[in-house]
Order: sequence, then structure tokens, then C-alpha cells
Amino acid sequence: MKFIILSLALVLTACSTPVPVKPKFPEAPQALKERCEQLRKIEGDKVAITEMLKVVIHNYTLYYECSTKVEGWQEWYETQKKIYENVK
Amino acid sequence: MWQVQWMLGLIPEWVWTTLLVGSIVGLLSAWLLKRIPFVSQYRFPIQAVSVASLLVSVWFISANSTNAVWEAKIKDLEDKVKQAEEAANTKNVEIQEKIVTKTKVIKEKGKTQIEYVDRVVTQDKEVIKYIEQCPVPKAIIDAHNAAAEMNKAAEGKK
Repeated sequence: MKFIILSLALVLTACSTPVPVKPKFPEAPQALKERCEQLRKIEGDKVAITEMLKVVIHNYTLYYECSTKVEGWQEWYETQKKIYENVK
Repeated sequence: MWQVQWMLGLIPEWVWTTLLVGSIVGLLSAWLLKRIPFVSQYRFPIQAVSVASLLVSVWFISANSTNAVWEAKIKDLEDKVKQAEEAANTKNVEIQEKIVTKTKVIKEKGKTQIEYVDRVVTQDKEVIKYIEQCPVPKAIIDAHNAAAEMNKAAEGKK
């Protein structure tokens, strides 16, 4: 009788093989994957101050373009993290 | 091994329930046979078969119910993953559009600023005088260019 009770308790658990369901790693937007451009240098030995100013403005533009991408990456990470955490 | 499991999985649930009921009936019969003379010699084989079929039937009934629970969990998780992927794609489109728009505005602003320098600043008398008399010293240009390439030092190229 003890054997039957023990065996029944064992077989009640049966055997289970959990099938893992893995979420796919999310793809980042194409605009974020583009690399930031190299800053422009001033060309020539005798350069007018206005030419220098134009290079500086161009470099500021590049900075803001790049910082937009960084902010985009931050937003992307935060939102993907929240979405992933909701899956659990 | 999985082929055996797959074949056993094809057996309907009612077969195992019937086997369970049969096993219980068998065990009770074996207990009753003990009291009947001459027939009691069949008691042990009936008891042995009943115990074996009881264990097998309980095992498969439990396996089926466990499997059903896991399948429900998998289905639930698959639905959540699908929803998450859809939400991620929607958010990606939003971010992509936002970045493209902001980049476009920044580029346009930069272009406008440079056009303003060409159109207004270079026409200023004081600036013209300064351009003619004072070109930017080479040391300043070199310092600017070095600063523009300081990332290369961090990458170990310079």
C-alpha cells in the first residue's frame, strides 16, 4: 500500500518539458544606425574669419544632428525596455 | 524517444480515465477475491496488473493536464511576444520619423545660418575691413582642426 501511495505521488507530477518562448531582439530604426559625420576642418593657410565661422556653424550642425541620434537611442532603449518587461 | 511520446499523445484522454477506473475496480476485485476460496489464486496477478495500470493511467492523466497547463502558458507568452513585437515596430517607426524630421530641421537651420553669413555678415563694412586686414592665424586654424579631430586620439589613430 505504501509503495502504491508513493508511486502515485511520483507519477502525479508526470513529466513536463517547458518549451522556451524567446522574444526576438528588436531592430533599431535605420536613422539611429547611421554613424555621426566627422567634424569639418578648416582648409588652407590664409583663411578669412567668415570662412572659419562657416566651418564652425557646419560643425555645430553636425553636433546637433549627432545629439539627436543619441537622444533617439536613449528613447529607443527606454521604450524597448518597458515593452520587454511587460512580456514577462 | 519523442516518437513514442508522440504516439502515446495520440491516445485520447478517455482511454486513460477508463484504465484508471478499471484499475480501481481490479484492486477492489482482488481484495474481494481474497475471501472466496479456490478463486483466490487469481488474486495476485489481478492485483499486480491493476497496480501497474493504475500507475500508468495516473501518469498519463497527469502528463496530459500538465501539458495542457504548459501549452496555455506558451500560448499566453507567444501572444505577449507578438504584441511586444508589434509595439516595438510601432515605436521604431515613431522614433525614425522623429529623428528624420529633427535632422532635416537642424540641416535647414545650419544651411540658413551659413547663407546668412554669406549674405549679411560678409557684406558688413567692418567685417570686410577685418577680412582684408586680418586673416585667421595658422595657429588658430591648427588648434581648431586638432580639436575637430580629437576623437581620433580617443580611437588611438593619432
